[in-house]
Amino acid sequence: MTKKLISGNEAVAYGALAAGVKTVAGYPGTPSTEMIDSLLKMDIEGTHVEWSTNEKVAFEVAAGGALLGYRTMCAMKMTGVNVAYDSLISIAYSGCTGGLVVYVVDDPGVSAGMSEQDSRGFALLSDMPVLEPSNLQESYDMAKYAFELAEAIQGPVFLRSVTSISQSHGLVEIEERILPETDHPLFEHNMEKYTKAGAVICMNQHKALIERLDAAGKYIAESSLNSLCLKTSKGVGVISVGVGNSYIDEAFDILEENQIKTDDISVLKLHNTLPYPDDEINAVLKHCTRVLVAEELEPYLENRVYLNAYKLGVKVDILGKNDGTYSRIGYYDADNLVNGICKLLNTALPALPENTDTAPEKKCAARPITVCAGCPHRGTYISIQNAISKLKMKKSEVVVTGDIGCTILGTTPPFNALWTEVSMGASIPLAQGLVYGGTKNPVLATIGDSTFFHAGMAGLVNALQHNANLTVIIMDNGWTSMTGMQINPGTAQDFQLGSWKQLDLKKVVEGLGVEDFHVIDPYDLDTTARAIAESMQYQGVSVILARRECAIQSNRRKIKYSAIKLDLEKCVNCKQCINITGCPAIAFADNTISIDYAQCNGCGICTQVCKFDALVKEQ
Amino acid sequence: MSIKKYDIYIVGVGGQGVLTIADILTSVAFTREMPVNYYPTKGMAQRGGFVKVQLRFGRSNVGPDIPQNSADLVISMERSESLKAVKYLKKGGEFFLYDNCWEPTAVMLGKAPYPTLKEVWQEVTQAGGAVKCLSNTDLPLYQGKRIRDNIYILGGILQSTRLKEIISKDDVVKAVTEKWPKVAESNVFAIEKGMHSEIKTAL
Repeated sequence: MTKKLISGNEAVAYGALAAGVKTVAGYPGTPSTEMIDSLLKMDIEGTHVEWSTNEKVAFEVAAGGALLGYRTMCAMKMTGVNVAYDSLISIAYSGCTGGLVVYVVDDPGVSAGMSEQDSRGFALLSDMPVLEPSNLQESYDMAKYAFELAEAIQGPVFLRSVTSISQSHGLVEIEERILPETDHPLFEHNMEKYTKAGAVICMNQHKALIERLDAAGKYIAESSLNSLCLKTSKGVGVISVGVGNSYIDEAFDILEENQIKTDDISVLKLHNTLPYPDDEINAVLKHCTRVLVAEELEPYLENRVYLNAYKLGVKVDILGKNDGTYSRIGYYDADNLVNGICKLLNTALPALPENTDTAPEKKCAARPITVCAGCPHRGTYISIQNAISKLKMKKSEVVVTGDIGCTILGTTPPFNALWTEVSMGASIPLAQGLVYGGTKNPVLATIGDSTFFHAGMAGLVNALQHNANLTVIIMDNGWTSMTGMQINPGTAQDFQLGSWKQLDLKKVVEGLGVEDFHVIDPYDLDTTARAIAESMQYQGVSVILARRECAIQSNRRKIKYSAIKLDLEKCVNCKQCINITGCPAIAFADNTISIDYAQCNGCGICTQVCKFDALVKEQ
Repeated sequence: MSIKKYDIYIVGVGGQGVLTIADILTSVAFTREMPVNYYPTKGMAQRGGFVKVQLRFGRSNVGPDIPQNSADLVISMERSESLKAVKYLKKGGEFFLYDNCWEPTAVMLGKAPYPTLKEVWQEVTQAGGAVKCLSNTDLPLYQGKRIRDNIYILGGILQSTRLKEIISKDDVVKAVTEKWPKVAESNVFAIEKGMHSEIKTAL
């Protein structure tokens, strides 16, 4: 045992290593990314770790190992489960002989972008156990335990965390890595288990799946995963799960400081919503007359508490989301528990100041995020606008769909270039649908390189087959950037790991048979705008590949593309360099433009925008 | 340790070294075997984006999020972003403000307002907090070079707040020296200067 200062995501990685994990695959997604990122930085021969093309692929890669009897894991953010689910339900039906763990991180409060999707819903949908650690140490312990549970029931298990735990850092006790097993026999040929050939097979598998969840219930009960502490009979109780558990002690402290006694409150701290811990829930229901259910996001557990109360025929007041005590939106802190317990006890805390319109944060200057200094996407966004102007159209008349990743920053000022943000790869089919809907002007779709490989290719193939009239701009910066610079299939060969190979996006697009295909450098605004304008007039599918490496990555290698010279004598303070580019390396203060050379990478976009030659590239 | 529980809420802007301050305090806790939960929220933390960190010392089982009106210390590294932290400060808590202005584009272009120091000060006072303000204008030089302001700020915090009751200057010097051995001298200089900087407690 050693104590290490690590994050929740790293704790899961170490837990998997201590369980002897053989294969780990995933797709980057905040707040889950560091789990695999940390493994890729370690020297762990014998364990295969990869960033896969998408979450479905990652799940399948992991599942393959589990079919052979090994311990394997896949990792993703909440929206990744939507992608993986097609195969996930099928493998859940089949089961596997090894321990297969699906690590997913939900994001109550949306600090990482996208939705407040509660992935426990997928556990319900697929009758899979879902383990929910409530702190860093439990993230480690339960990662290890998840493999044991999966092996015991011979089926996949969810390990579900939330942003606040996965991103937190603290002391965690970890053990030595266990080397993965190597001596498993070949994959068992078993049509009844591993295919879906006919209704009988499928229904038998469904039956087996339900039995596995029951078996998980027994296994969990024997391992005393949950803690139940019953106090005064006919009193009040609190049921919490996951991160909710970690706020109970603090809430009790706050209540005691306010002279509200907490000694008599029964507490059930749960670490799994599924299989429903019915015995423990029922013990609380039989013991208490009022029960508070504290779980972030959806009332999955609470609904079960209602059902069990009905089945038991007990009259218990249940407080939670159904009665409006809690909201389904946002994350919890100790205040949520304090307020819920006060309501449970029919008491009140001394009034705290309310948030009103005069709240201090209302006076805070808005700080919209934007692309970095030197970001190649800046050139693409400006050129889209220039192409629209070239064709004598208005920005408000030309729909440009957006996609997931850094490319979506085109929605922000000063560009305000993109109209939609749906899901990985949605930009192209959505644009196609807009064309069929009778959109009068040309429709454009924008997508990044990693997103294109993830789920964009299928959309482009569809548009090509149906000869849709649209322009696709693939913004290829060579990295999966938004999540912190991961490798994707298009990343340059120099940066691929071991025997991994680069797939050249240009050849991929050519291989699909795109006839109107332009490869341009987005740092060159004129060429880019011309290519976009030509494509918008082309009948059929046009593809523009805007290629230039992510500025964060090239900065790390100290690449300066040129030296930008600012001639203040020529500068007329028109501020167009700021208004058009929004480049964070250009500032305006004391009536003077200035350049922050620490940020500037010499991309030269500002020099193409300046009409007075005040900004020029120094030769 | 004289303080059992100590919660710190830190706000600032990406690129200021907000996370560095939190890293150092966390590694001090680690060396001293003091329980700590360090929860950074950087969102899409490009340079110039909002960053916050929640540091909870002294409790081994505590949730990551600090409830409103309960942080013992707020550290703000940007004037306007201070306003987002005010509601987390407890009555009688300390609010350390490094008065640095990182103006968003709209403010730079005169299209949007930006709070004055007085406005921020009043908000903190109204919330029952005590302001400790360090100016960003007289950052000392070490061998002709500007020192790292986040290390300097740490010195200012240790000089003026109750954080010194759980973390000493020596702790910080040790942590910083281990983290960056090559620039140890200039960092120790920055801490010293911070310890002796002028901290305003009234407008």
